[in-house]
Amino acid sequence: MNRMIRHYLAAVLAAAVLFSAGLASGAAPGVDECMDCHGDKTIEKSLPNGKTLSLYVDLQAYRSSVHGKDSCVTCHADAKAPHEKLKKVSCGKCHGDAEKSYAMSSHGILRAKGVTDVPACYDCHGKHDIRKAQDPAARTFRLNIVATCLRCHKDQAIERKYNLPDQKAMVAYEQSVHGMASKKAGLTGSAVCVDCHGNHAILPGDQPRSATNRQKIPTMCGKCHPGILEKYEKSVHGKGMRAGIAESPVCTDCHGEHTIARVSDPSSSVSSRNIPKTCSGCHDKEGISTRYALPKKRFSSYMDSFHGIAVEYGMTKAANCSSCHGVHEILQSSDPASTVNKANLPKTCGKCHPNAGPNFAKGDVHVEISPSKAMGVFAVRLFYTIFIGALAILFALHVGLELYGRWNRRKEKTPGGKEGQS
Amino acid sequence: MSRADLAAGKVIRMSILFRIQHLLLTVLLTVLAITGFALMYHENSLAQWIIRLEGGVHNRGIVHRIAAVLLMANLVYHVFYMLFSREGKPELRQLFIGRQDIDDFLQSLRYNLGVGKEYPRFGKYGFKEKFQYWGASAGIVLISFTGIMLWAEDFSMAFFPKIVLDLAIIIHGYQGLLGFVLLYLWHIYNVHLHPSVFPMNPSWITGKVSAEWLRREHPLEYEKLKEEGLL
Repeated sequence: MNRMIRHYLAAVLAAAVLFSAGLASGAAPGVDECMDCHGDKTIEKSLPNGKTLSLYVDLQAYRSSVHGKDSCVTCHADAKAPHEKLKKVSCGKCHGDAEKSYAMSSHGILRAKGVTDVPACYDCHGKHDIRKAQDPAARTFRLNIVATCLRCHKDQAIERKYNLPDQKAMVAYEQSVHGMASKKAGLTGSAVCVDCHGNHAILPGDQPRSATNRQKIPTMCGKCHPGILEKYEKSVHGKGMRAGIAESPVCTDCHGEHTIARVSDPSSSVSSRNIPKTCSGCHDKEGISTRYALPKKRFSSYMDSFHGIAVEYGMTKAANCSSCHGVHEILQSSDPASTVNKANLPKTCGKCHPNAGPNFAKGDVHVEISPSKAMGVFAVRLFYTIFIGALAILFALHVGLELYGRWNRRKEKTPGGKEGQS
Repeated sequence: MSRADLAAGKVIRMSILFRIQHLLLTVLLTVLAITGFALMYHENSLAQWIIRLEGGVHNRGIVHRIAAVLLMANLVYHVFYMLFSREGKPELRQLFIGRQDIDDFLQSLRYNLGVGKEYPRFGKYGFKEKFQYWGASAGIVLISFTGIMLWAEDFSMAFFPKIVLDLAIIIHGYQGLLGFVLLYLWHIYNVHLHPSVFPMNPSWITGKVSAEWLRREHPLEYEKLKEEGLL
């Protein structure tokens, strides 16, 4: 009995404390009180531009949000019941780091200048219904990110206004190997916008602090492709890039950005059909050959070979650049580990031509036809060109001479000659 | 030579077997030229069109090699025929190039320049025909060898360094071009455009030429036939 009374008293006391607390904070109403008005679906406010803004709050959505256990005044600190226009909510009060990096982003910088059609926190995260990024229902859940970003980045008016890359580039992502993996296969491990571009601190790639700045691309791709990054770092391209040579290719130079596709996809920039074009983007440039002392005419001499012609006409079995030079691990031919090092050529050629031994591998492969690089071929070609040219001229002269002779003798009639007919 | 031929003043110049060999040569060289030059000049848009027409580089190669095998068979047959047959042996003898041919050539130059008095008197084959015959034969032999080397590339790789195969490609292609020039500038002129035969020497189809033409162009052959009582 005694115990029951004690419990009863405790309950009353607690109720009294809660009640008085409620009274004392007349300025800080509870969720229920707020919902008295904001639970009404018709509640709205007229805006100066003649539109109306719904002031309804879906309690259900709020309760299941990440902030659902807090109360309205946690964010709307100045709310009373009833109240006038409230101050702007400051997410940074709790999420200081996020606010700081957002302020440095393209979005944040413009927002700070008063531009309103760039996203604020709630454009990506939502308002009362914010959910954790791990929650499949969240706007920021990995599989929902693309749709969240494309809400603005598919909009041509926005593309134009901020001089953003053609919207095709954005939409191309959905067809890329990454886009397909997340959209079609529902894989959360595939790259979505924020994996490359970052989230709060998003900046254009030409800015040094941007996550998509050239210098950072290999490391960035390497987050998910560490094995490939390791090979790339050892390659002539990777070493050049790390040494600060800006024109050394990074991942995106060969694979593309939003358009990245599988090697087996014929449209891919690294498919066996397209790889010669992709490599020649740099290796056919006079400047690159000169600066790095590379042999000239690498592209045209390949395209004129049996391999090049076969690849051009869709015989994917024929050797393309990477069949011999490798892919991410490309090395200078002078490097003993290079697949095109003289000592390794028999093995490399032997992948397709089992009879190609050390004897076959003597001499240069697809070089410019010049006296210093390929004397034999140059000489034979020159001989034939001169010989055929000379022969053609002599034929023409002979024909001319014969017709000239006949013309001179057109009136004569010598027996046994050729003048009877003309 | 039949009575009717004699009455019409016709002389047989190419027997049916030679005409078949010649026709095969014509067709096969045309196929080889079309398929071959399409590859040699693959960056040209007409060549690309031809390659597509032939069903891609792979099928182009098959067509080219079928024609090549037939051409080589034709050549081998021709060699045996010329060496061992009753008709071939005397033909071959008449095709040998001698001192006389060089003299004939120089005399024809003098004659056409108006210095010499008389045009050379040819037997069945003059220097034009002999040059054509040996030039084409040597060309086909060379182009066949390089072609086989390239066809059996895996076999060749076991014996030759890459430079040899590089040279084989160059020789094969340019030898083809040389043959083509020879065919068009020399042979077509001699058998179609030359004023004595224009528009065509009919012997490659009918096998026959007129006795009058033979008398003018190949007087020694004409006189020989006359002596033998064949005319």
